[in-house]
Amino acid sequence: MDLAFSEEQEMLWKSARDFLADKCPKTLVRDMEADELGNPPELWKEMAELGWLGLPFPEKYDGGGMSFLDLVVLMEEMGRACLPGPFFSTVVLGGLPVMEWGSEEQKQDILPKICKGEAILTLALTESSARYDAVSIRTLATPEGDDYLISGTKLFVPDANIADWIICVARTNQTASPEEGITLFLVDAKSPGISTTVLSTIAGDKQCEVVFDKVKVTKKDVLGEVGQGWTMVKKIVEWAALAKSAEMVGGNQQVLEMTIQYAKDRIQFGKPIGAFQIIQHYIADMSLDADSARITLHKAAWKMNEGLSCAKEVSVIKGWINDAYRRVTTVSHQIHGAIGFTKDHDLELYFRRAKAGEVLFGDSDFHREIVAQELGL
Amino acid sequence: MDFRLNEEEQAFQNEVRDWVQEMFRDVLPPGFAGVDPGPEEEEREDIKQIAAEIWKRLGAKGWIGLGWPKEYGGQESEAKSWILNQELIYNGIPGMDIAACQGDLILQFGTEEQKKRFLFPISRGEVKYAIGMSEPDVGSDMFSLQLKAEEKEDHYLFNGQKIWNTGIHHVDWCVVYARTDPNADKQHNGISVFIIDPRSPGITLRQITQITGLGAFCEVFYDDVKVPKENLLGAKNRGKDVSMYAFTIERSYGLVILHNAMRYFDQLVEYCKETEVNGQPLAKDPLIRNKLGEMAIELEVGRNLGDRINWMIAQGMMTVIPGCQNKIYGARVAQKLSNLGMEILGLYGQLDDTSKCAQLGGRFRHMYLSSRAWSLAGGTSEMSRNIIAGPFGLGLPSK
Repeated sequence: MDLAFSEEQEMLWKSARDFLADKCPKTLVRDMEADELGNPPELWKEMAELGWLGLPFPEKYDGGGMSFLDLVVLMEEMGRACLPGPFFSTVVLGGLPVMEWGSEEQKQDILPKICKGEAILTLALTESSARYDAVSIRTLATPEGDDYLISGTKLFVPDANIADWIICVARTNQTASPEEGITLFLVDAKSPGISTTVLSTIAGDKQCEVVFDKVKVTKKDVLGEVGQGWTMVKKIVEWAALAKSAEMVGGNQQVLEMTIQYAKDRIQFGKPIGAFQIIQHYIADMSLDADSARITLHKAAWKMNEGLSCAKEVSVIKGWINDAYRRVTTVSHQIHGAIGFTKDHDLELYFRRAKAGEVLFGDSDFHREIVAQELGL
Repeated sequence: MDFRLNEEEQAFQNEVRDWVQEMFRDVLPPGFAGVDPGPEEEEREDIKQIAAEIWKRLGAKGWIGLGWPKEYGGQESEAKSWILNQELIYNGIPGMDIAACQGDLILQFGTEEQKKRFLFPISRGEVKYAIGMSEPDVGSDMFSLQLKAEEKEDHYLFNGQKIWNTGIHHVDWCVVYARTDPNADKQHNGISVFIIDPRSPGITLRQITQITGLGAFCEVFYDDVKVPKENLLGAKNRGKDVSMYAFTIERSYGLVILHNAMRYFDQLVEYCKETEVNGQPLAKDPLIRNKLGEMAIELEVGRNLGDRINWMIAQGMMTVIPGCQNKIYGARVAQKLSNLGMEILGLYGQLDDTSKCAQLGGRFRHMYLSSRAWSLAGGTSEMSRNIIAGPFGLGLPSK
């Protein structure tokens, strides 16, 4: 057993933390919540130059050729910094599927652009049911000669307002089994018939309603195989749940650290509140939530990295961090008192992100059901 | 990064698993559902006999004190020691005695003569141990203990009382913490540790029945008990060092609780698959699926905490925080599981193993009761939180 990170990973860790502390202050985070587009262009360019946008993609497409575990390291720090913008959408929801299932032509077209910061991608998956199940996919892609016409309404599509490509999950065949007959399409976001409305979310990110009205795509725009889309979606949700967990673990860690500091600094009744046993016990429990989530994240990421089956491990970490991050931010609010309740303090950023992270890519009930299936129930 | 056991450890795990199957075949009664680790369930006569037999077989196998140096019968492998424990605990095999842990203390603090005298009988599986710490007025505040040990010419003279002394009525030796200097500048500087024969004249035992109905606790009265000087463990008045070390090696207690709970959980999952209510298996009920899924997540998280501490131990890292975290976590998850089992069993949950109609051998009723102890024994969860927050942990101020 070797639970240490490699020297390169430790370096990535440190450089990511330093870079984001410098270039992603909380003023920027708040500005981007209020901003219509939500992506700071300078920072996006610098992340491309650092090689972050291409980190998991093969070198022949101008990527960094690094592993999923490396990506998790980076995303923990992004969660710690509350990084705004479409990194998650572009790299995890868009780039990884293109890398995995794209044709050579699609890969050569798109991946280098992602790496250079010239293309923003996203995934249009969920619809009005707001669930991650196959039966909810009602958007239709109707064949018409060599083309398909996509019609339907997608909801909670992150960063669709600034995306260049949208991977759209649509039904190409109505069959008895909801998991069959689903296909993924790489849609040019500027295509006629697409209209996008940004929703106003708890975390201030840019989740959108995207209406597809007879949007024309060709057979060459199919990602992977026609009708095999649901298997791909399950894999994408697995990646996304793990990557989201990484962000949440990083944020959780930051909240723990700032709470410990606050408990040392804040004086009441003539002593730091951290000297009171009730506060100490709250913080001890927070540390348990933080440490248990980190090791559980790393176990799942390691398994995914090794190409071992990891459906259960991913659901274990997402199911756990959903609840742990909410607990930690809740207790942190109790310890911070009134100052944490204000927009002047960082804590509220994390509290809102904890709830957003919880419902994205599977809440705890969703992941408990997957674990139940893994138990053979 | 790699979460797998190495080849040698893997081979050892396989060897242990084969051996456990052998015990199921040769020693354990048919359909044996497992018991909790520790001496409590040895109050049942059949379990007591099985435990003695297995303890002897473990000794014969050379598997007691696997972490010890070779010259005292060990294999110098903490990893193997934990692999063995994990398999025995998960399968609920009785027999692994706390003598192995007390041997760790003797190894650290004993004289050469003491090591030869006490360690070999342990590693052969011939002797059992108990620990005497708590007193009527001494619980979490253990350094306030009052059992008096006066140094005389060729012995120490003991007067006073211990309580909650688990299993002392069955053992050969008890490691007892006593006050040797009532005038020390600080309470914890006047304590010493002794290895005592519970059959010494002047010792009176009174069994106390626990919430489970088992009489595993004893009240122990010392009236002019003479303890030979050569039974003093470590330096006189330095009992604090021994107790701190005992605390650090007990860092796996949380994992012991968790791996024991994993057996109960797996039995509960099987029960839900097999049991039909109104024509449908319990396993199809969405509420039950959700609760079992949640429980499985928490047990897996616990397994990962175990990987973390075992790796840290192997790296020689400080494990004060993880040890305490695991203790809190293990107790909490196991107690939650015990309630989940009772919920799912419903009215059947009330029945004990002797009752007609009992389900799962009445084990969840037992666990529901016995698990109260897991957030108390070996340091309460509150004491663990104090330690995590304190100077050896997160460094929160004390005033």
